[in-house]
Amino acid sequence: MNNEIKIAHKGFYLLEYFFILLRSIEKYSEQDKVFGEFKILKKQNFLGESKYKRKFETDEPSKTQQDRYHYTFREVIEEAKTYDLIEQDALSNLRLTVKGLDLLKLIENQGVESFNNYLFTCMEQKHGTFRSIIERLYAKNQYKPGLLIFPNYSPRQLDFERSNVKTVEDIIRYSHALTAKLQEDISSNLGLVKDMSPHNKTLINRLVENKLLPSSPSEDFNPIKYNVIIKRFRDFWMNYFLKEIYGFDIPLTTFDRWIYRGKQIGIIYATEFYPYFSGRIVYPTSVVVSKSASQDFNKLFNYEDGKSLYIHKPKWNDANQDKFVNALVTAYFDLRRTYRSYFINLLAMRELVCYSMKISERLFETFLDEAYKLNLADELKIKISLEVDRLPEETTAMYLKQEPVMVDKKYRNIIAINVTPGDRFDEQAA
Amino acid sequence: MNKLLRKPLQSAPTEMMGKFEKFNLIENPFPSSPYVNQDSTDQRINGKVYEIEIRKKELEQIENVFLKKSQLNPNHLRLGYIIDESYIGRGNGKSAFLVNLQQYINEDYCLDISNNINKCFAVYVVPEAGGRTKTFLSLVDLIFEAILKSNVIESCLAILRIQSINQLYPNRQLFENMNEEEMISKLSEIEWYKQNQIDYNDIANAILLNPFLQGLPADFPLYRERNRLFLNMTMQKDFEGYYTQMPGRGRERLDFVFSHLVQFFQSAEFNGAFILLDDFERIPEFQSARQKRDFALELRSCIFDGLYTSAKTGFYNLLMVLHAGVPRLISDAWAEAGMENRASFTPRTTSNHLIPFGKLSREHTTLLVKKYLSEYRIDTSNLQGTEPFSEDALSRIGEWSEYNAAKILKMAYDLLEKAALAEGVTTIDEAFVSEAKGVLVGDLERSIPKIENVDSTDLLKKASEG
Repeated sequence: MNNEIKIAHKGFYLLEYFFILLRSIEKYSEQDKVFGEFKILKKQNFLGESKYKRKFETDEPSKTQQDRYHYTFREVIEEAKTYDLIEQDALSNLRLTVKGLDLLKLIENQGVESFNNYLFTCMEQKHGTFRSIIERLYAKNQYKPGLLIFPNYSPRQLDFERSNVKTVEDIIRYSHALTAKLQEDISSNLGLVKDMSPHNKTLINRLVENKLLPSSPSEDFNPIKYNVIIKRFRDFWMNYFLKEIYGFDIPLTTFDRWIYRGKQIGIIYATEFYPYFSGRIVYPTSVVVSKSASQDFNKLFNYEDGKSLYIHKPKWNDANQDKFVNALVTAYFDLRRTYRSYFINLLAMRELVCYSMKISERLFETFLDEAYKLNLADELKIKISLEVDRLPEETTAMYLKQEPVMVDKKYRNIIAINVTPGDRFDEQAA
Repeated sequence: MNKLLRKPLQSAPTEMMGKFEKFNLIENPFPSSPYVNQDSTDQRINGKVYEIEIRKKELEQIENVFLKKSQLNPNHLRLGYIIDESYIGRGNGKSAFLVNLQQYINEDYCLDISNNINKCFAVYVVPEAGGRTKTFLSLVDLIFEAILKSNVIESCLAILRIQSINQLYPNRQLFENMNEEEMISKLSEIEWYKQNQIDYNDIANAILLNPFLQGLPADFPLYRERNRLFLNMTMQKDFEGYYTQMPGRGRERLDFVFSHLVQFFQSAEFNGAFILLDDFERIPEFQSARQKRDFALELRSCIFDGLYTSAKTGFYNLLMVLHAGVPRLISDAWAEAGMENRASFTPRTTSNHLIPFGKLSREHTTLLVKKYLSEYRIDTSNLQGTEPFSEDALSRIGEWSEYNAAKILKMAYDLLEKAALAEGVTTIDEAFVSEAKGVLVGDLERSIPKIENVDSTDLLKKASEG
């Protein structure tokens, strides 16, 4: 295994950006016009800085926003060129290549999944980044194969009220509580004993050097900088986990981009919303092996050394249906134990089921849809009731943080399950 | 040796400090598992300890929109929804609210509340869990059970008898110095009539002349009293027996509850009744789409526009408690059955029949805790304090309980138990709460599926072994 991770490109953008770029170039060839169309499509498709953070945009983006769009635009062009999807002539005009045209046809005829898979092939051929990340994930946690945790706790989660955090001393108290908690997590999850206090000192010194904190401990810091300071903590420790604990030698932003792309393709799962865990977890939903003995894997890519990347994609057959239903029921009762209501949050349940089965969000949606149809036809051993409480757009929340779940052609966000007595599940449980 | 003469080496001290005495409390006033059970004798869980101030807004709306409106006006609102605003809304005090609302109405049959405009009674109904109350008829069974439990039939029988006595013996002073219970009990004893030289047969006949009681079926329980040879006074249990032995399971029961009983109540001068339906979601949760629609149709015909006396006069009013997710569960069926037009879940304008059941606030936490403490004080000269809880401690408790009434009570229970055992602790302050939180949360955390303990598929193994 090659220890270095091959990197390409800096900007953070997801796979949809390739789609809107190709569409724009299909329509225009002059760069300015392409950029104009790119912006329109970006807005239509709700693509923000990341897909998970949908902002309400004003009609006229500010100068800095414009600059940022332009930067992203150039980045996507550069990356698309390396995959031979587009070409640029001497006058800087843009044109789709045959490959680019094929890709657009693919999304029209076969949908997003095929489009993503095709892009994945281009990327993996060029860089091999996904393979090195996936292999690294498996190498780093022997207890729970592939699972990497990046715990993080805000002051609030450690019982520091924002109104009470005013001086440098307060921040230092938070930093001590945070390091203690992180050390505890490392020990319980990874079986490692780490003394993180020297790193904590480095971080505090850095904050002072950067003028975010005054040098005297009793002094108040600028309250406007509160969020910036807390974000520094978060980034510092994420980086610490990535580099010191897991030995990745790439910047955090690069890691972020590739794992979230991996999530879109369905080969890596990453989430910041795993119930009862504060922070991020990452694990692969694929393997890199020479040959799979199980029918539940689909080959996505062949490497030169004879190994292949297989995505874990169980078929909807009796055995897997049973596994899925059992995972649903387990997750439902796990969540109910603490929430004590019939209806529980479907998105939280999705996190549990995906982790337990090691499947992608998309496959979860497909399976739930199948199970729900069987339930409606009264052919399922449990009763599922899916409802909508309030959808993100019905609330005042401005961000769409998690992908919604669509079942039976409707968005759903709460679920209740009824296990009828004396049925097969009960017998198994007994 | 004679055990009656033997003594232990130590005898119990004559005065021992009670566990909660240092806090000026008889015992722990908070419930160890907060839920409402109307039938319990423990006032910590039967809804008796109740701070009305917390739900003042909701109560005022119900008073103004339902209780104070003349029930004789057929245009009065007949269906109201008490809707919880958060969908994980367990333990917000809805059941306690309904139980107290029932008591509040029944205290003087709504006469004082409505300034003598209405005479109404209230019954509290909870559908059975686990889908046993699936059809409208099974709900009607529960409603009738609740009517029996409220003893309103007994009251009605007494009222009818008093009416007749006053009519036939206008100048007799029979009930001086009797309270309501004594009156009810005397009026149902044939001996009492004999002692007072009253022929009960005359009373029974006069009752049956009441204009509201005309057109009742011949086997209606009141008609038992027409038999002059073997005089049988009709009792509440005769109504119960009549209902359970009714030959048909369906239509007859509906006729009885929604027409005949209504006439009976009206004859005793009642002009309305409130059915307080708790945990409504237990019904639709287990219903198929068709069952939901049938249920809505039956409800509509019994309450709004069927041929029943109750529908014609608007005698029964239904107040349903809904969790936030429930309207969507039944909105299709409601629309199909035409209920949506009569009492909409999603009206375009603010509507009186929707009673939002809000979250508690910081101040409510104090009120709630104070109320429970005041019920168990040893020295009752000052009931306004929250000792041993400090104000800061209450803020914390409220916050950590997410302002959920049940969680607040449970946390207060745990803290007080802990403080009682800790030596030298006489106040529960913020520091004590913070320290205890680790333990309290720890309890909860043990039951939580943590990611390091969760079983998940090992893909590498699966790929190699199949």
